[in-house]
Amino acid sequence: MALAETVALKEKKREKYIITTIRRLFKNKLAVAGLIIVILQILMAIFAPAITVHDPIKQNLASSELPMFSAGHWLGTDNYGRDVWSRIVYGARISLVVGLIAVSLGLIGGVLLGMLAGYYPKLDAVIMRFVDLLFSFPGILLAMLIIAILGTSLVNVAIAISIWSIPTCARIVRGSVLSIKEKEYIMAMRSMGASDLRIMARHILPNAAAPIIVFATMRMATAILSTASLSYLGLGAQPPTPEWGAMISQGQDFMWTSPHLTIVPGIAIMLTVFAFNVLGDGLRDALDPNMDIQQ
Amino acid sequence: MKKQWLLLLTLIGVLILSACSGGSTIPEGEEGSGSGSEPASEGAKEVIYASTSDAVGLSPTMTNDSVSSNVMTQIYENLFERNPETMELEPKLAESYENTDDLTWVIKLKEGITFQDGTPFNAEAVKYSFDKLRDPATGAPRASLLEPLDTVTAIDETTVEIKTKYPYGPLLAALSHSNAAIISPTADEKQDLMQNPVGTGPFKFVSWANGDQIVLEKNADYWDGEVALDKVIFRVVPETSTAISMLQTGEVNFLDALPPEQISRIEGLENVDVSKQEGTPVYYLTFNHSKERNQDPAFRKAVAQAVDRDAFVEKLNGLGVRSDSVLGPKVFGYNESADNAGTAFDPEAAKKLVEENGFADEPIKLLAANRDNFVLMAEIVQAQLTDAGFKVEIEMMEWATFLDTARAGEYDMTFLSWSNVTSDGSEMFYPNFHSDNVGNSNRAQYSDPEFDKLVEASRTTIDQDEREQYLNDANMYMLENDVAVVMYHGLVTSATDKSIKGLKVDPNGQWSLKDVTRE
Repeated sequence: MALAETVALKEKKREKYIITTIRRLFKNKLAVAGLIIVILQILMAIFAPAITVHDPIKQNLASSELPMFSAGHWLGTDNYGRDVWSRIVYGARISLVVGLIAVSLGLIGGVLLGMLAGYYPKLDAVIMRFVDLLFSFPGILLAMLIIAILGTSLVNVAIAISIWSIPTCARIVRGSVLSIKEKEYIMAMRSMGASDLRIMARHILPNAAAPIIVFATMRMATAILSTASLSYLGLGAQPPTPEWGAMISQGQDFMWTSPHLTIVPGIAIMLTVFAFNVLGDGLRDALDPNMDIQQ
Repeated sequence: MKKQWLLLLTLIGVLILSACSGGSTIPEGEEGSGSGSEPASEGAKEVIYASTSDAVGLSPTMTNDSVSSNVMTQIYENLFERNPETMELEPKLAESYENTDDLTWVIKLKEGITFQDGTPFNAEAVKYSFDKLRDPATGAPRASLLEPLDTVTAIDETTVEIKTKYPYGPLLAALSHSNAAIISPTADEKQDLMQNPVGTGPFKFVSWANGDQIVLEKNADYWDGEVALDKVIFRVVPETSTAISMLQTGEVNFLDALPPEQISRIEGLENVDVSKQEGTPVYYLTFNHSKERNQDPAFRKAVAQAVDRDAFVEKLNGLGVRSDSVLGPKVFGYNESADNAGTAFDPEAAKKLVEENGFADEPIKLLAANRDNFVLMAEIVQAQLTDAGFKVEIEMMEWATFLDTARAGEYDMTFLSWSNVTSDGSEMFYPNFHSDNVGNSNRAQYSDPEFDKLVEASRTTIDQDEREQYLNDANMYMLENDVAVVMYHGLVTSATDKSIKGLKVDPNGQWSLKDVTRE
C-alpha cells in the first residue's frame, strides 16, 4: 500500500517536472523558434520524396546552372543540372541521420566512460587520462585523423564525430555522477544492498539526464556542422551525394556566375546549427532546477 | 540622468572627430607607399606569374612536374626544341645533327655559349648532363627518357656522339624534354641545383622563399639576343579564384591552365587578354586491365557506349577538343581518321549489353583525383554509366594519393591525363600502356603483346614516316579494343595582363618568357 502510494507520487512528480520544463521552454521565444526549425527539418527529411519533384542526383546537362526561381526549379540547378531544392531536402536527411548516429554513438561511449569514472574511483584516473588524451587533439583534426585511417565515407564521418564527442560527454557525466553519488538516497540504496549496476542505471543515470539531454542537443549542432566541414574538405560524402558541405565545396567554383549554389546550402547549414544551438540553450535553462530561485 | 546622456553624446562626438582626423591621415600613408612602388613597376620590367602550388625543385635531373618545369624552362635550355608552329624539332643549343648509322647520332653544338655562372657550354657539359640523368645512382624520376642511350662521348669541344642500344626513333624528341635540359657541371658539383639552379637560359635564379615565391632576373649575357624583361616572379596562390582577383587588380600579370568554370569570369576582365589554343594534354577514362571483369571486351564496349563525350566536352566551355583518338591533333602520330574511330555513344546498345551480361551485379569503383576537371569527369560519367544500368561508386582522392593508388592498381576504372611534353606519340604509349611500365607509369595496368609490338616498332624505327604509321596503328588498336575512352584533348590557355606582349604558350603547356615584353 505504502509502496503503491510512493510510485503514484513519483509518477505525478515526474509528470509535473516534465510539464514545468516544457512550460519554461515555451517561455523562451528563441528556443521555440529553434524547435520549430528542427521539427520542420525532421518533417522535410521524412517526407523528402513527397515535397520534391526531381531526383537529387539526376543530372540534366542541358539545363545546368539555372538561377533561383526558374520554372520547375525554384532554387535553381547546379553545375550538372541537378535540382538544388531536391538536394537541400535530401541533404537534410543526410545531416540529421549522420548527426543522430554520431551523437548517439558519442553518448553511449561518453555515458559509459563517465559513469564508470565517476562511480569507481579506481577507474577514474585511467579513464580520465584517456579522455584527456582525446581532448588534447583539436576536434576537427582528430576527426580528420580518424577518417585518414578509416577512409572517406559518411559512415566514417559519423564514427569520427562520435569519437570526438566522447571526451566532453564523459566529463559532463562524471561530474554529475560524482555529486549524485554522495546523495543520501544513493547511500540508502547501497545500504539496502542494491547492486552497482542497478544504482547506476536506475538511480544515477535518470538524475544525470538533464545535462546529457542538453549536451546531446548542442552536440547535434556541432555534429551537423562537422559533417558539413568534413564533406566540404572532401573527406565526407562522396559525389554525387547531396550533402550540404559538399554542395558548398562544389558551388564555390561558380561563386561569380551562380552564387546561389553556395548561399542556399550555406543558409541551410546556418539555420540548422542555429536551431539546435538555441534549442539546447533553452533546454538548459528549462531543465535547470535552480531557475526558479534565480527568477 | 540627463548629465549621463550629455556625457555619452560628447564621447560619441569626440570619437567621430578623432575618426575623421584618422581618416585624413590614412590616404596620406597610402599615397606614400604608392609613390614608393610606382618607379619600381615602371622602371624595371617584371612579370609576376601565379601558380596554385610551389615548385618541387629546380634541377631538371631530379624533378618531373609541370610547376617546376615552368620555372626551369626559363633557366635551362635543351639541345633541341619543338617549334610550336610547325611542331618540327629544331636545334636550340645544338647546331646540327647527323646519323652515321641507325645507332649513332653525331650532334654539333653551337659555339660561344656560357652558363650563367661563367662555365663554358661544351660537349663535356652535354655528356655530364645526360650521364647524370641516366645514371641509376642519381635516381632521376625521368631517367627513362634516356634509357635507350648506350654511350655519350665528347669527341671534341663542340661535337657529341650518342650511341643507342637499339635504333631509337624519338631520340630528338626525348632530348627536347625539359628534364633533359643541359646543366652547368661546375655548378652541379659545387651546389644543389634543386635550390640553386644554373643553366644557359634567358633568366637566372635570384631567390626562392619556399611556399611563397621564386624570383628570377634577366641573364645579361644571354647568347640569343637581348632579353626584354628584367625580372620574373613565380608566386604561389593556392586558390584559383584568388589568383583571378589578383590578376584583375594587377597584383599578378599572368596565369595559365585556366579552369573551365572560371573562364567566363576571366574573359570578362577588362585588363586581361585570354589565349586559347589546341594542346597536347589528353584526358581519358581507363580500365584497370588487371581486373578480370575489365578484360571482357563486351564490358569495355558497354562502358564506351554509355559515355556521352559530346555532352561532357560542352561543359568545358570551349576548353576541350572532342576526339576519339588517344593521340591528339598536336601529337606526332595523330591521324584524322582516328577522330571517329572509337566506339560511338549509344545508350540503348549499352543498356542491352549491361542487361544481357549482368554487368550491374557488381558495383564499379570509379577512382578520381579531387582536382577540378577530374571531378567533373567523374560526376558526369558516373551519372551516364548509371543511366546505362551500371552501379558506380565514386572514390575521390587527393592528387598524390590518387597517383599512388592508381599505380598500385587499386581501382576498377579511373581518369588519367597526360600532357605530352615531347609531343611524340611514343612518349604517350610507351610510359602509359606498354607492359614494361605496368606498376609504374602504366597505371592502366595494360599489357597486350600485340600492342607492345606496335609501340616498340614506333620506338626502334628511325624513319619518321614509318614511325607515324606504327603510332597510328597502335592508336587504332586501342580504339578498336576500347582500351581507354578518350574524354577530350585539352586546350592550353593563359590569361595575361594587357601590358604583356609576346607571350606564347606551347601546345605542351610550357612557355618561355624570353621574347615577352611589358609596356
